Amino acid sequence: MKRKSFLQFSAPSMLLMLALLAFPMVMTLWLSVRNCTPQMALVTVQQTGPFGAASVTTQRAKVDASGRALQDCKFVGLSYYRNILGLNKTPADREAAKAASASDDTAAATGDGHNEFIGALRFTLLYTLVTTPFILAGGLAMALAMNHVTRRLKGLYVAASLLPFIITPVVGALAIKWLFRDDGLVPHLLQQVGIQVFWMAQAWSAQLLIILYGIWHVMPFAFIVFYAGLQGVPQDSLEAARLDGASRWQQLRYVTLPHLAPLLVFVTLIHLMDAYRVFEPVLVLTRGAFTTSVQYLTYSVLLEENNAFKASAAAVLTLIGIGVLLIPLLRRTWREQRGTH
Amino acid sequence: MHRRHLLLGALSSGMAAGWMPSAWAEPLCRRAGLQARLELVANSFPVMQHLARQAMACNGGGLNVNVKLTSRINYEVETAFASAGKSPFDAAVVSASVFSDLYARSQLYPMTDLVRKYGARYQLEERMLVRMDGEVMAIAFMQNTQNLYYRRDLFQRHGIAVPTTYEQMLQAATLLRAKEPGIANPIAQTFAQGWDLATEFTNLLFSMGGRFFVPGTAEPAFNSPEGVATVALMRSLLPYMSPNALSSNSDDVMNQLQQGRAAMGVLWASRAARMDDPSASRVPGLIDFAAAPAARPGGGSAAHLWWDGVVMPRNGPAQREATFQVLMEMLSAESTAAGNDLTIWVRSYYKPGRTGVGVERALAGGAKVWPAEPFFTLAHAQVGKVLADAIKGVRDPAQALAGAAAAYRLAAIEKGYISDGTRREVGA
Repeated sequence: MKRKSFLQFSAPSMLLMLALLAFPMVMTLWLSVRNCTPQMALVTVQQTGPFGAASVTTQRAKVDASGRALQDCKFVGLSYYRNILGLNKTPADREAAKAASASDDTAAATGDGHNEFIGALRFTLLYTLVTTPFILAGGLAMALAMNHVTRRLKGLYVAASLLPFIITPVVGALAIKWLFRDDGLVPHLLQQVGIQVFWMAQAWSAQLLIILYGIWHVMPFAFIVFYAGLQGVPQDSLEAARLDGASRWQQLRYVTLPHLAPLLVFVTLIHLMDAYRVFEPVLVLTRGAFTTSVQYLTYSVLLEENNAFKASAAAVLTLIGIGVLLIPLLRRTWREQRGTH
Repeated sequence: MHRRHLLLGALSSGMAAGWMPSAWAEPLCRRAGLQARLELVANSFPVMQHLARQAMACNGGGLNVNVKLTSRINYEVETAFASAGKSPFDAAVVSASVFSDLYARSQLYPMTDLVRKYGARYQLEERMLVRMDGEVMAIAFMQNTQNLYYRRDLFQRHGIAVPTTYEQMLQAATLLRAKEPGIANPIAQTFAQGWDLATEFTNLLFSMGGRFFVPGTAEPAFNSPEGVATVALMRSLLPYMSPNALSSNSDDVMNQLQQGRAAMGVLWASRAARMDDPSASRVPGLIDFAAAPAARPGGGSAAHLWWDGVVMPRNGPAQREATFQVLMEMLSAESTAAGNDLTIWVRSYYKPGRTGVGVERALAGGAKVWPAEPFFTLAHAQVGKVLADAIKGVRDPAQALAGAAAAYRLAAIEKGYISDGTRREVGA
């Protein structure tokens, strides 16, 4: 009976999760090990148009009797994963590498070991690891400051602080881009004091800009969560600490922060997941120059190569990355859960 | 105010072309009594906003037309037209480049019969019809290319001739930087990493005498001495451009020219009219347009010719007649006339204004038609990824291009254009 009511309560959400989370994930996994291509044949076509006539030799998909293009589908195993990670070489590549090593040009033939995924992973991790502490510290500082704002100004303070979080990420990123581009407000003001920085011109400034955007955009989220947490700090414990002569710092360190610890874990967890998927600022601010992220890579595979199979593999790799990042936090939560039961 | 002005001008030029404004009040598509629910998709250019309004003017009675304007047209159209079921779009407006991909995958429905039936009613011209082996597969209505934008006033003041090669352009840039203190970075060009940069490379490579593929195959050939020379030429432009150049897209370049910060640069011809917009430009009327310079003396203008047109999917033919009539209404002579200055139209009675001479100049300068191989977009995408580092000197150009060629081969194998391990011949 107990089991039956449990099932009755949980079945709707389980079904929803199966349909909206598990099914797409299985589909993505399935796509990532397959490949479908049209059966191409060589054709020479007489083309006429606005710019005159020309004979074009190209490839064209073979069609069946109903005019539908014929497809070849096959299982490719982990080949996309190896391609993305730069571990795969086709027989022709190996041949070219062999030929090139004879002519002392190995690097050229093997693409000089440059790997996009590793570059993307490097910047994604940098972004994630740099923004997280700033967001936690900044959000906490804003929440503590909020406690000292007079009641009348609180509404204004909350509205102003939440604005970066409310704005659509693309709009926020565009606003930042316009502030920092040639003749933008920030370069103009800096120039007044004799500093000239071209923000999109080199790696450090482009990366800094995206990291600053990330902190600016997410800090309000941390702020509002911590502020809610601060309302629940037991006043009697704080008062007892004060009576025992604890300084403000000691009150924060030994009473407030332990109370907020679960929220710190929560914000870290959410931000690690979000940060690892950083995308909009990369797309808008730099289009990947110096700052390709793992998610941007998936996007470019999907849109530029128009290859949903390979993009699925990139998406699965992103998922694995998030999983690895979250392991320590999930283990901690798991232990706490077990401890309380 | 500005729009009304435009409309009045267009009306008068339309009347000169011999059509009656009264016909415009009630679109043909509405009078035809069509019964359909149509979904169209197009890129979100200003001219497409105008055309979408024209198409939606057909709405009423039993006809319901919806136009989706998107910035991800390639992906949306290619996915919709490839779907196993019915395409969610009854027609699409695509560029010549997307057309090549769709045609190669046999995903387009020919419109030859419809052109025969309705061509005269809508005054279709032969030059608008994109025929493949005689079948009409697309109807082109606008064209585009890249032109050299230059400040006529500054060039005249210093006695500089309009450059016809990049070498002359660099000389002009050196001179202007020395003599015009307000112009620290005389050249502005769309060098943003990715699509923009790869497009510049494509323009210059062909003018340099290089090519993208081994003739008759899908094998890469841009990793060549000409490719390396092209990278070197692009690198030589950097010192004359804003240090932010590698993230400058068309909007940024337009802005630099409009603000009088740059004195010359190659940019899309379709942007020319906005140089004369007094609300956005500090130099209205001072920028002139010429064929893009050649990469080397004797090379053709380093630009490519593009067209945009309408296509219909093979997997959505149920409402072909209604769709075609709405498309023709959208591209009618009246509609073209009303948007005269919004783009460079294909129709022969288009009246190019001062800013509409781009395609004519490019054709005269020897610009080529944008590559039509369906695998070209894959090579273009890979080149776009490595060029920024090669141009900055972070990676050796030959190695970077070889890396792009290897990555392209892999992508082309994955898409079935090159068979794994062995070469697939596509021509004699």
